[in-house]
Amino acid sequence: MPTIYKLLIVFAYICLLAGCQQEEYEPIAEKANVAATINIKDMSVSFIDIDKQEKMAQWTLEKPYTGGVIFPDGDTFLLYGKDIDTIDLFSLSKGTMIDHWDVGEGIVNGLLINKDELAFADENQDSIRFFDLSGSEHATVDTEANPYTMTLSEKEGLLYVLSFDHEELTKIDANKKERLEGFTINPYASGALLLEEQNELWVGGHGEGIDIEKNVHVYGTKTGELKTKISVPTMPVDFVQKDDWIYIVSHGSNTLYKVDKEGKVADSVTVTANPFNIELAGEELLVAGYDSSDIQFINEDTLTVDKRVKVGEGPFQIVLREK
Amino acid sequence: MKFLTDTLAKKLWLTVTAAIFITILYSYALSYLFYEKLYVENVEESLLEEGLALASDYHDGPLTDEFKGHVAWYNTKSETDVFIVNNPRELSACFPFQMNYDSLINGAERDELLKGNPIFKSGYEDRFNGRIMAVIVPLLDESRLEGIIYLYLPLEKISDITKDFAYLWMIAAFLFLIVAMISGTALVKKMTSPLLEMKRAAEQVSKGDYEVSIKNQSQDEIGQLANAFNTMADSIRQEDERKREFLANVSHELRTPISYVKGYSEALKIGLVKNEEDYQKYLELIYREAGRMERLVGDLLDLSKLETEEYQLVKMPIPLAQLIEDSLQKYLPRIKEKGLELEYDLDPEIIINADEGRLEQIIQNIMDNALRYTESGSLSLHLYETEEGCCIELVDSGIGIPAEDLDKIKQRFYRVNKARTRADGGTGLGLAIAEKLVNLHEGELTIESTLGKGTTVRIYLPIIIE
Repeated sequence: MPTIYKLLIVFAYICLLAGCQQEEYEPIAEKANVAATINIKDMSVSFIDIDKQEKMAQWTLEKPYTGGVIFPDGDTFLLYGKDIDTIDLFSLSKGTMIDHWDVGEGIVNGLLINKDELAFADENQDSIRFFDLSGSEHATVDTEANPYTMTLSEKEGLLYVLSFDHEELTKIDANKKERLEGFTINPYASGALLLEEQNELWVGGHGEGIDIEKNVHVYGTKTGELKTKISVPTMPVDFVQKDDWIYIVSHGSNTLYKVDKEGKVADSVTVTANPFNIELAGEELLVAGYDSSDIQFINEDTLTVDKRVKVGEGPFQIVLREK
Repeated sequence: MKFLTDTLAKKLWLTVTAAIFITILYSYALSYLFYEKLYVENVEESLLEEGLALASDYHDGPLTDEFKGHVAWYNTKSETDVFIVNNPRELSACFPFQMNYDSLINGAERDELLKGNPIFKSGYEDRFNGRIMAVIVPLLDESRLEGIIYLYLPLEKISDITKDFAYLWMIAAFLFLIVAMISGTALVKKMTSPLLEMKRAAEQVSKGDYEVSIKNQSQDEIGQLANAFNTMADSIRQEDERKREFLANVSHELRTPISYVKGYSEALKIGLVKNEEDYQKYLELIYREAGRMERLVGDLLDLSKLETEEYQLVKMPIPLAQLIEDSLQKYLPRIKEKGLELEYDLDPEIIINADEGRLEQIIQNIMDNALRYTESGSLSLHLYETEEGCCIELVDSGIGIPAEDLDKIKQRFYRVNKARTRADGGTGLGLAIAEKLVNLHEGELTIESTLGKGTTVRIYLPIIIE
């Protein structure tokens, strides 16, 4: 076979491969403030313009992603999933996949640390894996079984990791990448908020077996003691703080609670169906309804629902990009 | 197995029995299926109705204790087990998380309920430690699944009912089987008994007893076979009779000339004859009888040849008038001698496709007969065209044939006057041969006659159409 034909075949093959990988999605305007929802049921990501409170675009993806992180550059959109053996990076402005990191299956959560580092909770390895933004893994710290929720104390440089079905919290020195002594927490813990000035870690959860979690457990970060329980039935799983107020979503009762730092419930409202995630964008609280496949914009002060935006099916996590 | 299938009756019986068995089993299975399906559908429907009726009392928001109380009260009154579930864990609310808990409904069912659709379940459920039939009705506040109403019945209750049904069925089927087998056996016997009778009759026929007849009432295939058998036996009997008669006739016909020849030759041999005149007369008689035997044997040979299928005519186009005229020539002296008048009118245009020699033989045979039985008067011969061909018509003013003998006249050796001597020289085979030959030419020979007035012979033949 003449060399020219061989080259042509190779060229065609490369084009084919490139064609397969270079799936193009609708680009996301660079200047917009964006809330991206990762939708589990239809494997999609919906992009919502936060200012206009309307959907801008929807990407139907090929892998079952469960969560994501937007890089400090505001353009790189990282997606991971427990059953996917890569972490995939997309460019929001181009609408294409730009890179993928072969990390193996088991990544259930990701957190941006100090704008130049990523921590991933790996449920298969029962560890927190640290990567730089170029995808090279530089440290791994073992945790209790099934790490899920992570929260960072920037002041202390500590990473708190909740073990999902093991009643133990793992404390990690984020700088030295060393595991410190943890403490016992409630079972099936999910969602955590650190109140650094009070040295408190508020921990939510689903509850074990038939027992439904009704409370947020407040632990002292130094001692690990259970200081108090805040009744926010049922199944509080995510928190967001705005000044002196803490907002808690309980997915078992589809309720959003507004709680002060003392743990006193000031207000509550029924929100969208089965919310797993809450985020704060300016004055608006964003709550994703996993069952109703929508996002609600809720005024943080009055707790009134300003807008409801339909997204892909089963929004599980909201990722914000604010300029 | 062979002893089961060695007779048709057993085979039929087996087939009938098997058919009955299969029908019973099949209809049992089918009706069981239908019954269960109908019953199950009915139960499902009523469960759903109950569930929807209960759910209609629910209005938005979390489930109230009052509502739960209502359902609990209803549960005490209803045969159905009804309960309300609003524990999000049981409703798979935490589905994306692995809760290590076997929820009452799974993720897919939750999705279905979220659409507002009820769920139907039938089969083994771990939770109830048995087989159940259940309907789950969602209690939705917009798209929030606040709870479900779970209604179920243990499947044992349902199978209890089908069990009763099965017993009833079995008893009915058993009775039906007995009745069906008895009537089946009778039917098979009725169907096969004519066959057995036919077998016996066939054995009798092969032993030479042709007088058998199968009594048969039915008109079905077996009845038709029995009728055909009877007809066949009758035909064989008639043929046998004809054969006997024929043999008797042949021997009878031969015996007369033989006794003549024997008697006269004996007289000559022992010198009974005194003068030359008698001597010549005796010789003449012997010669005549030998000639008659020759003709008889010749005719018999012809007849037997004609009766074989391979007999072939050598056909060619023949101007019929010419042929008839030629044939008549040799009769003119005899006609003149008897003092008869001959009148003939022949259409010269008629040409037929025929075997010349055989056609001559036909004419000769009918002319012989006409001359033989006409002592005075006239003979008239006509040839004319008919719609379908042509007709040779020979009318004599002879003695005629009695009406009762007319249809038998064409049979071999049949004579109107049995006592008549053979002095006229006929063999009794002339008309039989003539008819055979006419038939071979695809024609027809008919005879009309009035006793004492004369006879008309008509031969219809196809012609060549130009």
